[in-house]
Amino acid sequence: MADAPPLLDVRGLSLGYATARGTVRALDGVTLAIRRGAAMGLVGESGSGKSSVVLALLGLLGKEAALAADRLDFAGEDLRVAAPRLRGLRIGTVFQDPAAALNPALRIGLQVAEPLVQHRGLSARAAHGRAVELLAEMGIPRAAAVAQAYPHQLSGGMKQRAVIATALACEPELLLLDEPTTALDVTVEAQILDLLERLRAERGVSMLLVSHNLGIVDRLCDGLTVLYAGRVVESGATEALLAAPRHPYTRGLLAALPRADRGRIGRLAPIPGSLPDLTRPDPGCNFRPRCPFAAAGCEAPQALHPLDARHVACHRAEMLHDAAWPAPDAAAADRVPLGGTLLEVADLARGFRLGRGLFRRQAEVRAVDGVSFSLRRGEVLGLVGESGCGKSTLGRLVLRLIAADRGSIRFDGSPVPAMPPDGFRRRAQIVFQNPDTSLNPRQTVDVALRRPLERFGLAHGAAATREVERLLDLVRLTPAYRPRYPHQMSGGEKQRIGIARALASRPDFLVCDEAVSALDVSVQAAVLNLLEDLRDTLGVAYLFISHDIGVVSHIADRIAVMYRGAIVEEGPAAAVLAPPYHPYTGALLSAVPVVGARGRAAARTRLKGDVSSAPTEGGCRFAHRCPAERGTVCRTQAPPVQQAGPGHAIACHIPVAELARAPAALAVAE
Amino acid sequence: MAGFLLRRLGSLAFVLWAMTVLVFAIVHLLPGSVAHMILGEYATNEAIATLEAKLGLNDPLPVQYWRWFSGLLGGDFGQSLTMERPAGPVILEALGRSAVLAGVSIVLVAVIGVSLGIHSAVHKGSATDRALTLGQYFFIAVPEFFWCILVILFFAVWLGWLPATGYTPIADGGVTGWAKHLVLPVSTLVLGLIAHVSRLTRSSMLEAIESRYVLAARAKGLPERLVLRRHALPNALLPTITVLAVDIGILIGGIVVVESVFAYPGLGRMLVYAIDNQDLPLMMGGMIVITAVYALANLAADILYAVLNPRIRVGGTAA
Repeated sequence: MADAPPLLDVRGLSLGYATARGTVRALDGVTLAIRRGAAMGLVGESGSGKSSVVLALLGLLGKEAALAADRLDFAGEDLRVAAPRLRGLRIGTVFQDPAAALNPALRIGLQVAEPLVQHRGLSARAAHGRAVELLAEMGIPRAAAVAQAYPHQLSGGMKQRAVIATALACEPELLLLDEPTTALDVTVEAQILDLLERLRAERGVSMLLVSHNLGIVDRLCDGLTVLYAGRVVESGATEALLAAPRHPYTRGLLAALPRADRGRIGRLAPIPGSLPDLTRPDPGCNFRPRCPFAAAGCEAPQALHPLDARHVACHRAEMLHDAAWPAPDAAAADRVPLGGTLLEVADLARGFRLGRGLFRRQAEVRAVDGVSFSLRRGEVLGLVGESGCGKSTLGRLVLRLIAADRGSIRFDGSPVPAMPPDGFRRRAQIVFQNPDTSLNPRQTVDVALRRPLERFGLAHGAAATREVERLLDLVRLTPAYRPRYPHQMSGGEKQRIGIARALASRPDFLVCDEAVSALDVSVQAAVLNLLEDLRDTLGVAYLFISHDIGVVSHIADRIAVMYRGAIVEEGPAAAVLAPPYHPYTGALLSAVPVVGARGRAAARTRLKGDVSSAPTEGGCRFAHRCPAERGTVCRTQAPPVQQAGPGHAIACHIPVAELARAPAALAVAE
Repeated sequence: MAGFLLRRLGSLAFVLWAMTVLVFAIVHLLPGSVAHMILGEYATNEAIATLEAKLGLNDPLPVQYWRWFSGLLGGDFGQSLTMERPAGPVILEALGRSAVLAGVSIVLVAVIGVSLGIHSAVHKGSATDRALTLGQYFFIAVPEFFWCILVILFFAVWLGWLPATGYTPIADGGVTGWAKHLVLPVSTLVLGLIAHVSRLTRSSMLEAIESRYVLAARAKGLPERLVLRRHALPNALLPTITVLAVDIGILIGGIVVVESVFAYPGLGRMLVYAIDNQDLPLMMGGMIVITAVYALANLAADILYAVLNPRIRVGGTAA
């Protein structure tokens, strides 16, 4: 078996893009091999070149790309010649974000059937019949009806199943998966991962899984290749590699990762610096400027060499065997004890009209439906839930950025009216998810930070300049950033400016709406540490909204779980992350892909459908997907709020004692 | 879909009605007496008073408006003040001749504009794409009255190939004679619009070609021709359709200029004539007809857009 030639054999793959700034060396000597039936994970942060590998294999790089390789073979054929013939037939591809990968103007059935007509010469009718079968095999209910539907009529998970059905139509030997679940909710992601796992077991199809998420790769892949700035830094068996990474970059990645299964583990260790300039490739190790172990010899080219049943591109890897990754810088200050109640929200609600009355009947969705919570000074309340659960709407309602249908907000003891006074705006601010769209591209950092200072009359002229510099220092940026425009900064830097802008008016309360979701792990860790420091030094309270349970479990004191507009469980972070759970919390936690948790898959709670499927009127809003549903009670009566412990509330019909018997979805280290 | 059509037809009716009010108001707020205009400078006051009474110009404005509006509903545009004929048939004949001009033009704009746009997008950065881009900016920038003069000088005066002005019905001059009179007006009308439409088609086609679903279609191993025709084109054409409807408005504006220059007896020239001679029924009728044409073109574009776009045509969820 070991002697059989690999199905995919890539050696010395290099790729250059000619740009105005010079040639960008996107890939530099990438080597990887996949055996028949094996699954290889290709991991790296944005800019690592992982998606370019997929396009190179498919022969779908643009004309401006210059490709070179010592070997680019698939089943003995050179892909540089054979790719146009093999793609779709023997190599299937699943791209990120099924909403973008499906053609909005064509019926699902046609799109799934296309490769069959093209490669297998089937008639349109026969291909359509086979497409319906394939959709059914992918676990799509009512496959015949779905085949007649257009993409916008399907949920995200169903779309991705259709895309996978298309990729598998001609029974390919290799499946290229480019971030196949990144655009999906965690419970839907778990369903898709189950499907991929089953396909691998049943059909023996080989996989190349490109992802930034180590947890997913760990679940699905037996091999792992780590890519940094276009070069392979480490590759080997997934389990061994993740258990004991040897390349400093891999070690850094794992140290920077907030992990739901470990709860709060003190501070994360960010990787300092940023991606090297790929127009001027470093002949030596290109991770050197960011590496805490850099020493003499690192400036020489690093070849992949075998070490501990893997390959590492670091000449010091063996030497560093026992050297620990440097501990993160200490917290800026001891945490201030939690103060009195700062924010009290009662029965907040907001509905949105759907359909805009053009073709569809007007329907109303209650995005936030009677939510109450309170927050103390210096406290972090994590708000988790899947897309569409209303968590972002709640964040905006709390700040009175959008009008509420009903409900009251009290801030620091006084009620906040629908049109809040300046004082409230100054003291309650927001950090948005995407710094690319929330920063004005035509404003320099200086202008963006000065504006709130002047708006609230806090500082003018030279005093404002000093204040801008203080804010930059607060988010660990130098005054040299003042004249910069957003496009002149990296994603992490932009998000720091977004945080600095929110802090300019010295608020007591920040809504962080997916504030770190767009960032790479190494940068995310730095921003999370920064937010913790600001909480500790300034006593700022956060409503921390995120879909990432790992991040929330790292930073939050308390966690609220939201489902379809209502909070179904709320309590101290450690209590929410362990039984007794609300059944939804349990399912959510068990769907989180965790590094180093093999075999957990079998014990998972699986949810059917997604948030949007089958509404329930009157009863528990989770009843239609609940794995523990108790029949009519759940479907007709609103669930009672039960106290499961001090400050720990669960809205469920099932007695707490019974909920407590649920298996722990995460092994939380206290 | 039926509800959508009903609502659109309702708003169309409202727009047309509002236009009748507007047109009527503008015309009656203009200074000068209609009777004075008709009878000439040396008319006696008695003659003017008699004519004003006969035309009902002494009635209150709402009464006059209602008389005109109820006539419109019955298809009666009133009596032309200068031609001794009902205005309706005059407008209709002019509309027919303009429709030929506009119809031929819009078909040429759609076919040539879309084809050139697709060609540019597919061969982005090639020599033809660059040449087309240059040409497009040139033709968008230069106004049509300039082309009118240029083509008359070149083809009619200098080369003598085509008649400079006028119109020959098919019955008189045969198809060739009829077509010869169309060539110059049509070509001046379409040059700028073709440039505009091809520019837009190029950018929407490029957007489609660079989309993820086209990448996915290529990854399926489909031949490039099929990828472009089936996957890119239907999505790229949607914005073009909206713009074509807007272009019909530009075309109507262009027709007024072009018909005047080429002495082509269409709606545009009739409107200029009516304004010059203060022929109010003709003027108001012409404006209402032009509004109706424009509104109907937009309705047609909206319906076509909905038919081609399943996100509008097919609602609801399937699974």
